[in-house]
Amino acid sequence: MLERSESDRLQRESWLQRMMRRPEIGSFVVMIIIILALAFASNGKAFNALGLKNNIAIIAQLGIIAVGAALLMIAGEFDLSIGPMIAFAGMSIAIMMKWGLPFGLGEATPFLAFLITLCMTLAFGWLIGNIVVRSGLSSFIVTLAFWFFLRGLTEVCFRLINQNTNVSGLPDFKKESWFAEQMGGEVFGWFFDAWYWIGTKVSAGAEFTAEMTKAEKLDMINFLSFLNINRKMEQWVTGFDARLLWFIIIAGAAWYVLARTQLGSWIYATGDNKESARANGVPVNRVKIGLFMFSAFCATIFATCQVFDTNSSDAAKGMFKELEAIAIAVVGGILMTGGFGSIVGVIFGAVTFGLVANAVFFIPWIDGAWFRVFVGTVLLAAVFANERIRKRITGGI
Amino acid sequence: MSKQAYMRVENIVKKFGPFTALNGVDLEVHAGEVHALLGDNGAGKSTLIKILSGVHEPTSGTIYIEGQPTAFRNPRDASAAGIGTVYQDLAINQLMSVTRNFFMGRELTSRFGTLRMDEMNQIAHDEMLKIGINFSDPTQAVGTMSGGQRQTLAIARAIYFGAKVLILDEPTSALGQKQQMEVLKTIKRVRARGDIAIIFITHNEIHSRLIADRYTFLALGEVLGSGTKAELEGEDIRRLMAGGAEIKDLEQELAAI
Repeated sequence: MLERSESDRLQRESWLQRMMRRPEIGSFVVMIIIILALAFASNGKAFNALGLKNNIAIIAQLGIIAVGAALLMIAGEFDLSIGPMIAFAGMSIAIMMKWGLPFGLGEATPFLAFLITLCMTLAFGWLIGNIVVRSGLSSFIVTLAFWFFLRGLTEVCFRLINQNTNVSGLPDFKKESWFAEQMGGEVFGWFFDAWYWIGTKVSAGAEFTAEMTKAEKLDMINFLSFLNINRKMEQWVTGFDARLLWFIIIAGAAWYVLARTQLGSWIYATGDNKESARANGVPVNRVKIGLFMFSAFCATIFATCQVFDTNSSDAAKGMFKELEAIAIAVVGGILMTGGFGSIVGVIFGAVTFGLVANAVFFIPWIDGAWFRVFVGTVLLAAVFANERIRKRITGGI
Repeated sequence: MSKQAYMRVENIVKKFGPFTALNGVDLEVHAGEVHALLGDNGAGKSTLIKILSGVHEPTSGTIYIEGQPTAFRNPRDASAAGIGTVYQDLAINQLMSVTRNFFMGRELTSRFGTLRMDEMNQIAHDEMLKIGINFSDPTQAVGTMSGGQRQTLAIARAIYFGAKVLILDEPTSALGQKQQMEVLKTIKRVRARGDIAIIFITHNEIHSRLIADRYTFLALGEVLGSGTKAELEGEDIRRLMAGGAEIKDLEQELAAI
């Protein structure tokens, strides 16, 4: 008789082995490589006060929509309408801020414009979700249709109401509206205050002297700017973009829901095998419709931050953003077939993509189009890696 | 048997348009017994269990639960009446953990919808040990489990959520020899509890003879024969299994080719 039993075949693993199995390990390694490479190639400039602010701005921006796309992909569906949804929401808010509320209801406040826009985008998300679950069509096709529909609708509305495909030169609402400040303003000023405070202690007495060479002066400027100090010894970066706060809120909520709640279990079950989920009483259709609406919500937050940050909007906003969001989710370890993945991986993916998208500003000799070359390469590698991870987890089945 | 059957079905007829899938089938199942439902492909076994588990409504005929006539309009009615069905595909999600599968759709939550994960892990672990699976880690993905372990997971889940009648749809058919024995052992352990009736659907005469107390043979939508183990001789079982043909006839037919 065999002494070994079935359960002996599952090895007890060390902490390190368990870590290596986690879905986010691949994206974590890529992120670390990119951070180091960028720090090296930009001579540290990418992570001085201004570099950090700019990088975090784009990371948060991409991260917000990637989280929405990722949840939907875990539930087994795609949303290609994210980009046009951003353009539509941006158009809607900007036009209301310029021309007032619809039906002559008077002046719009930033919050009202946002709220009305959110109602519309959520309704679109609900509609897309219903079409997908009721028709059984692939969400790829349904959301592709909405890609065209919303892009067209956005441009038509711009031209009908504003006689132009953009709205620009809006007044800066951040000064008078608390809501606009929360969307397009700055947050976490204390971070750079603290950085500056440490910097002044470290650099006390740093001054140009007559005998310094030009290279030494440049080094010193670099060093001081890293410490958030300009040549007049003043703080020159005062906070992160408000997007960062929204990214933290949205990613935190999504992480909590996925890892700790019943709804999270339902999202995984829906994407893994929706028939068996349904047989066990999971409301598969409601989960999917809800996630299409969440994706629309993320796109709306993206657009609102953009409008109140730049005080403008145009019909080409959000171009390619749906593809970037999906790419980030895949690089973050979300399976194309659904049922598996984590928000932590998506955050790593967003950091990687944001840094690479911005790299051109810190490494002047690089051609910006390399960004897409990089995305393509990493995407392909990630899909292979994800497939390997899936096989390892399911024991090669 | 003097005690009342937990579930009894009388004269079940099911027609799909012009096609008669079941033509007056009777069946009764008792707590603490294994009732083997045998029959060739197309005999109507699947249609019968779909009626018992509320997927189809019968064209005519009655299902009695503890003597009360009961109608199932949908699978939820059936499961509320204590019918737990373990289908061939097991309704299990491979990428999810044992615990998440065990509680799929019926998660234990505190207020605010938070999962009580530790408690769920403990219950899943205990329930699976109870029906005798050698099993250590409820957080492992189901994909890493053997076919027999998955079968046990699905059975343990059905029992934990209140099944009084456990319908097992060909639980041994896709497994290797050793795992088949594991599943048969599991079925015996469930039987030994004494409070659960098991309907065991199979092609395999040997398996049915190892554990069944009662038999029903279906052929072409009708009951060809039924009875307790004592009432049916071994040869009878084989003859009924072959759809009424004598095994010698089959041998002759084969030899003639």
